[in-house]
Parts: sequence; C-alpha cells; structure tokens
Amino acid sequence: MTQAEIKLCSLLLQEHFGEIVEKIGVHLIRTGSQPLRVIAHDTRTSPDQVKKALCVLIQHNLVTYQVHKRGTVEYEAQCSRLLRMLRYPRYIYTAKTLYSDTGELLVEELLLNGKMTMSALVKRVADRLTETMEDGKTMDYAEVSSTFVRLADTHFVQRCPLVSPTENSEPGPPQPAPTLVINENDMYLVPKLSLIGKGKRRRSSEDDATGEPKAKRLKHSTDNKEPIPDDGIYWQANLDRFHQHFRDQAIVSAVANRMDQTSSEIVRTMLRMSEITTPSGAPFTQPLSSNEIFRSLPTGYNISKQVLDQYLTLLADDPLEFVGKSGDSGGGMYVINLHKVLGSLATATLESVVQERFGSRCARIFRLVLQKKHLEQKQVEDFAMIPAKEAKDMLYKMLSENFILLQEIPKTPDHAPSRTFYLYTVNILSAARMLLHRCYKQIETLKRNVNKLDASEIQVDETIFLLESYIESNTKRQ
Amino acid sequence: MKGSDNQEKLVYQIIEDAGNKGIWSRDIRYKSNLPLTEINKILKNLESKKLIKAVKSVAASKKKVYMLYNLQPDRSVTGGAWYSDQDFESEFVEVLNQQCFKFLQTKAETARESKQNPMIQRNSSFASSHEVWKYICELGISKVELSMEDIETILNTLIYDGKVEMTIIAAKEGTVGSVDGHMKLYRAVNPIIPPTGLVRTPCGLCPVFDDCHEGGEISPSNCIYMTEWLEF
Repeated sequence: MTQAEIKLCSLLLQEHFGEIVEKIGVHLIRTGSQPLRVIAHDTRTSPDQVKKALCVLIQHNLVTYQVHKRGTVEYEAQCSRLLRMLRYPRYIYTAKTLYSDTGELLVEELLLNGKMTMSALVKRVADRLTETMEDGKTMDYAEVSSTFVRLADTHFVQRCPLVSPTENSEPGPPQPAPTLVINENDMYLVPKLSLIGKGKRRRSSEDDATGEPKAKRLKHSTDNKEPIPDDGIYWQANLDRFHQHFRDQAIVSAVANRMDQTSSEIVRTMLRMSEITTPSGAPFTQPLSSNEIFRSLPTGYNISKQVLDQYLTLLADDPLEFVGKSGDSGGGMYVINLHKVLGSLATATLESVVQERFGSRCARIFRLVLQKKHLEQKQVEDFAMIPAKEAKDMLYKMLSENFILLQEIPKTPDHAPSRTFYLYTVNILSAARMLLHRCYKQIETLKRNVNKLDASEIQVDETIFLLESYIESNTKRQ
Repeated sequence: MKGSDNQEKLVYQIIEDAGNKGIWSRDIRYKSNLPLTEINKILKNLESKKLIKAVKSVAASKKKVYMLYNLQPDRSVTGGAWYSDQDFESEFVEVLNQQCFKFLQTKAETARESKQNPMIQRNSSFASSHEVWKYICELGISKVELSMEDIETILNTLIYDGKVEMTIIAAKEGTVGSVDGHMKLYRAVNPIIPPTGLVRTPCGLCPVFDDCHEGGEISPSNCIYMTEWLEF
C-alpha cells in the first residue's frame, strides 16, 4: 500500500471506530501478518485492548486470521477492504434505488455491524422503519423479510463462512482458532424462518407514564433471551456484487451518451440477464440470443423484433466495440465486451483529466498520441495542426506529469542523441495507476477539510472505481 | 543562354533537375564540385537574370532553396494551405475546425429528429469527406483553394478532439468522393462520460499537488484554493 492509501485508511478507521482500533489497524497494514503478542508489544497497548480492537476489525471483515503450523495464529489486515469503507454511502444509496427504504436500511445496518443474523437484522430494521412511520402504524416483519430474501436472491448479501462441522469431531487437541468454510451453493440460501411480528416503536418518556406496568416490561426483556432459530448463520454485504452493479451503470450511461436511450435500455437488459450467470472478472458476458433479449425487454418498450435487430447490429458495428456478435443462432448471439468497456471508460477518464488540467489543445495531442501509439515530435505538430512551439510546450508539460512517456530508439549502438529517434507514447495502464494514486491522495486531503465535502468525496470515488476496475481487469488478464 | 559560361550552365542544370522542391546551396556545391565563392557569384548572376529564385523553406526558416523562376514551389516547402509566408495560420485552422464540426453536428441533429428507424438515422448522420469539402468551398471562408486532403486533415483534428468519429466504407470506383475504392465518412458524437469526479475539486487542477502534505508549507489545512472553493 502506498503512503497516501495508508494515511487514508488511518483516517477512515479513526472516523468509524476510534483511536485504539486505528492504531492497531494501521500497524497491521504496515507490518503484514503478525500474532497477537507481537502486536501488543509493538504498539505498546495491553493485550486486552488489542483483543477488543481485533474483534471489532474481524467483525467488520477488515482483518483475517490464519493458523500456522506451529499453532500460532497470525492476523492480517485486508487493505483493499479497508478502502471500501469510503464507498459505504454509495452502496447504501444503490440499495435504496433498487429496493427502496427497506433495502436501504437493511444494507446500512449490515455495513455498520459487519455481520448479523437474519432475525436480528430484520427486527432492527423493522424497529427503525416503524419510528419513521406515522403514529399508530407499524412495520411488519414479513415485509422486511421479503426484501431481505430479494437481496439474497440477487446476491447483494451473502452468508459468512461458518465453522466447519467436521472440526469438532476430529480427534486430538482443539485448534487455537477455528477454520471457516462456506459451500458455494449455500452462500445465498435464506434459512426458513417464520418471523412474525411488528416493529416496535421506542417509547418516549410521556408514553411511559401511561404505558404498561413494570412487570410486563420485564417480560419483554426476557423474551429476547429466547433461542434465536437461525443462530450461527451470519450474513454480510457482498461488495463484489455492488461493484458489478456500478460497472453496469457506467456501461449503460456510456451507451446512452454515445447513442440513444433505446440502445442503452437494450444494453441494460442484456446486463441484467447476465447478472448472475457471468463470473466477476470475465472478459465477456455469456452469449445472449436476440430472441431472448426481445423476450426480456421491459414492458413499455414496444419496439418490434426487426427494430431490435437493427439496434443490435448498430451496437455491434459501433467503433466503440461494446457489444460483439458471437454467432448467428437464435437470431444472432451477442455478448458485451466487459474488458473493452472498462478500457474505454478508463481512457475516457484519462482524457477528461488531461482536458480539464491542461486545456483542450493538450487533450487533442493526448488523444492523437493515444490513437497513433508512437509519434515523433514533428508528426505530432503536423497531425494536430498546432504550431511547433506550442506543441512542444504542451508535450513537455504532459511528460513532466507522467501522462505521456518518451521512448528512445537508437539508430547507432552508442545512443547518441542526434542519431536517436525519440517517440512519444501513452501507456494507459501506468497512467491509470498514477491517476489512482492521485485520487487517493486527493480524498485524504478532502477528508481533512471535514464536514463540507462529502459530495466531492463521492465524485472522486467514482473515478477511483473506474480506474480500479480497469486495472483489476488488466491484471487478471495477465 | 548567351553570355553564361559552362559553370553557370552546370549550376542551372542542377537547379532545373531539382524540380519544384528546390535545392539548397550546399547541395549545389556537392553536385557541381565548385568552390563556395564561385557558387554564390553564379547564383547572384542567375537571380539578377531572373532565371532562378530563392524560396524560404517552412521547415527550417533560415534555409533558402533555389528553383527555376517560373515554377510553383511544392507544398512541402511552403507548407501548403496552412502556411502563409512561413507563419502557421492557427486562426484559419481553428475557424475551419469549428465550421466542419458545426456542419457535422447539424447533420446529426436532423438525422436524430427525423425519428425513423435507427439504421436510417445513423446512416444519414454520416457525411463523406467530399460533402464536407463541398460545404466549405461553398462557404467561401478560405482565400486559398483547399483540396479534399486538406479537409481530411482538419476532420482528423476533430477526431483527436474526441468530437467526431470516422468509418471507412467500400465504395464503387467512380462514385463521387471515393479514393481508391473506399470513402471516409464522418459523424459528430458525444463524449461517453461527463467530466470525471477527480477534476471537479480544486485538488484535481492544483499545480502544487505533489508538494502538498500535512505539516508542510503547502498543506491541506491551509490550502487557499480549498478555502476559496468552499466559500461558494
């Protein structure tokens, strides 16, 4: 992790959990995986406090542990997961747009508590919703449960790994720490609970006077000690699925900007159909036939089959290459080129940054070098139609900020400057990484100017998301 | 040529051979093996007799190339339509750039408004380079005559601006505007993302971003750009 990222993590930990957790967390990020005693010793905190801090961090999936051969347990911080804390508002907002207030509160509670059982979660959300409703109305558990089931079906929440059932039956001394496993098929299986009840409004002091007598209130508190039917089955938010959703949103809006509303709706339908069937990180979605797409179009879009076919052909022929045709069966099989899309979005982000920072003429030179791959100084001036002096100035400025690279091709073995070709080139991957680092530093700066800048943090986070997805897709390819 | 001796005839021959690209005085020296002083005298002589002329090259402004008097200098020497007297005409290029873009934009708008089926809409939003060339010629904003290649270089700069996209289609030989069996079509397009979040904050455009860290002279807490921006 870079310095800027570590500073950002420390700010985030402090904001969410306080100083002690921040100290332990940053120490773990800096030193990698360490056992408990070493952490306590190095950070000069008592083992008790370290234990509590680690509990908090593990509960929120920010730290994992591993049992080593000699029986020691080592704790490791999940750096990328820490940075996701920035994006919590965006996850919650997405849940709100998809599943309205109930979904929003469900995801919010899950993110703020790390892991929860379904019954506890449903109860808490029902109570919160009841507070916001008018007097006399309450929220029914069944409604909240059904929203939760929908979240699980679309993979936005998933089960946490459980203690493996075979462990306890093994002979020999018990392990110092349990190993957690989860079966792929069970990850989204909702336990069959019959949660009956309604949300309880927190009674204000006036109500207490006319409220139930004390004896009955005591009984309420003992009710909570009943055995919870789904004890041990904990749920967490599935961040990868949210990321997939963001990526789909970016693709749809790009298509809408470049083409028109109908094309973007078609692409949205295709993405929705491949939501669960395509693994994350795949370069293409599963091929979809034009007949299937026609059947799955949202009602209200009555375009005829021929018009749909025309739109699909146009999408496939577009120079952007977002959609590709992979076969002719079923009226034409179409796929979405996910890696290509991420590349185009990352390139567009880079171009936009160059344009805003340096001006539109610099942006012209940047796009020119991007398209032609390698260019000499003179060729840049000729193609871009910019006078030599200005072109030189702009190229050097971009070179100093590492958006453009210089490639030397010597004509003679002694690399004499007068006999060497100097070519300008753009390497998108390294420029994207450089920009990402800048984004993190920028967010850290914004955070320090506290309270007024949440909106801008979210905007910068959008850029971070695009660049990170592109870099991730590239590293997976290699 | 009466009154000129063999040396002059030799130099004249060399210059004639260079055609309309002209030849540099040093190259004349190499080809004729005559000493520098002789060459200069002969060149002055020929110039006064109005048989040759000197033209300044746009590539290296101090270099002079010599060519026959009544020849038109080649584009590589004068820079073509974009240079007038060694100066690059940036304003002229800008004006042409904007005019071409407007033409393509209006064409795309009318195509979108016609609301026909998408194939026709898309095809009618394209304009071939020939069409753009005709439009610009009819506008009459250019004093110099522009060829179709000139217009294509202008359209290429629009592509590098991200405002226009180009496709090449196969066209029958003989259709208007086709070169070597294919035609270039251009279309105005919108950018695929709005200005990205990174540059909507002062940090994205800050010139001293790399020097800024907490505790230094330039730090986030005493950033003047940030205070100005927050006062909005």
